[in-house]
Amino acid sequence: MDVPPLVLQTAGSLVAILALAGLAWWLRLGPALPLTLDDEVRRIAAEIEDGFTPVAIACDEEGAGALARDAQGRIMLIRSHGNRFVGRVLTAKATALLKDHPGEFNIIIDCGEARFGKAFLTIADPATWADAINRLHAVHDA
Amino acid sequence: MPDFNPTQYAVSLFVVAVLAEMIWAKFRAPEAYEPKDTLVSLSFGLGSTVAGALLGGFALWLMFIAYDYRVIDFGPEWWTVWWAWPLCFVLDDFAYYWSHRAGHRIRWMWAAHVNHHSSQHYNLSTALRQTWTGNLTFGILFTLPVVVLGFHPVMIAICGGFNLIYQFWIHTEAIKRMPAWFEAVMNTPSHHRVHHATNPRYLDRNYAGVFIIWDRMFGTFEPEVDDEPIRYGIVKQLGSFNLLWSVFHEWAGMLTDIWRAPWWHKLSYLLSEPGWSHDGSRETSDMIRARWQARVEGEGASPAPSVATRNPIAGAQEAA
Repeated sequence: MDVPPLVLQTAGSLVAILALAGLAWWLRLGPALPLTLDDEVRRIAAEIEDGFTPVAIACDEEGAGALARDAQGRIMLIRSHGNRFVGRVLTAKATALLKDHPGEFNIIIDCGEARFGKAFLTIADPATWADAINRLHAVHDA
Repeated sequence: MPDFNPTQYAVSLFVVAVLAEMIWAKFRAPEAYEPKDTLVSLSFGLGSTVAGALLGGFALWLMFIAYDYRVIDFGPEWWTVWWAWPLCFVLDDFAYYWSHRAGHRIRWMWAAHVNHHSSQHYNLSTALRQTWTGNLTFGILFTLPVVVLGFHPVMIAICGGFNLIYQFWIHTEAIKRMPAWFEAVMNTPSHHRVHHATNPRYLDRNYAGVFIIWDRMFGTFEPEVDDEPIRYGIVKQLGSFNLLWSVFHEWAGMLTDIWRAPWWHKLSYLLSEPGWSHDGSRETSDMIRARWQARVEGEGASPAPSVATRNPIAGAQEAA
């Protein structure tokens, strides 16, 4: 049976792709860089939105993300994505849910973008942050 | 007529080069790679080959139609006119510059090209993060003048293949600067890092394929600044390793905007620059840069750690 060249090439490329991705994993490339320092949060927040200057910060205990509030009351969610960080300035679509899962997380933040996903963080004073996030929604509705 | 596709021959070279860069990363910059990101980038490359085979026929057909109206005729054995090859390469690169520039400034084309920029990493695997949907845009229109001038579509396709191969090696942080004469004329890792950056100062700069002279000529050149770390990706990072979402997210966003917009604004969501909105609720790259400039001028820029400090090989080796 003659195999079309495109199929053969695609199969070969697929094998190479899996091999390279497997090698990256095996070499332990892309180690996680936990976000635990306020200065790091400030730097990343400014990268996500130029000029965003946090006046209050809550870092996840494991360094998986953070919440940051600026002087205008805007709240930014930062979470890990691979070994980089991504974030959003939260809008009225955002919700926060308090949960008590000791050793796992105490707050779930949903920025309202389905594809962005939720952030599961363990932070200090989660109730205050959850209230502030949920108030974004209330302020918008008012 | 030559039956030759240079990129097919280059695939094994790409694999070996990515492998070599991974080994370099293991010892010098392990954060330069992320396995899931690498898998997505390489899958983009494979999907792009398949999409090109399935959807590329229309563009090729258009080129052959245009070739019938050529101004200069290189004769039936056009491939034997040796000087036409370098000339074609330069003209194709010029067309690439404008097509690429349109790819960043027109949302319809950005919807296809954003794929190449959606990684937050910058390594050789990023080079293979090629579009699946480029044939659904009007990018081919930028090449048609080269065809009408008299260059055979096959000659242009071969030159375009070499152009793509050239652009592979510049997707790396392992090389800081090339010799000054080379940096002046050619696209280099340094110039192209700027192109992939989301730092406001770098947005929509350095569109060149092979020759950076086009950016210098048309006012879009920006040199890499050593005291500001580069951040890669797109202004609104995806935060997802889902391959299909990575491929189609901007198409989905654009079509949603067109659907929701008042009818007199619908076309603008197709043809205006990315970030444009009819109610001013979003920012274009020009707006982000202007806001950054105003802020920096107001505050005075603070020094930032050098890219080279994150990149030991580059730091030690000024020119490669």
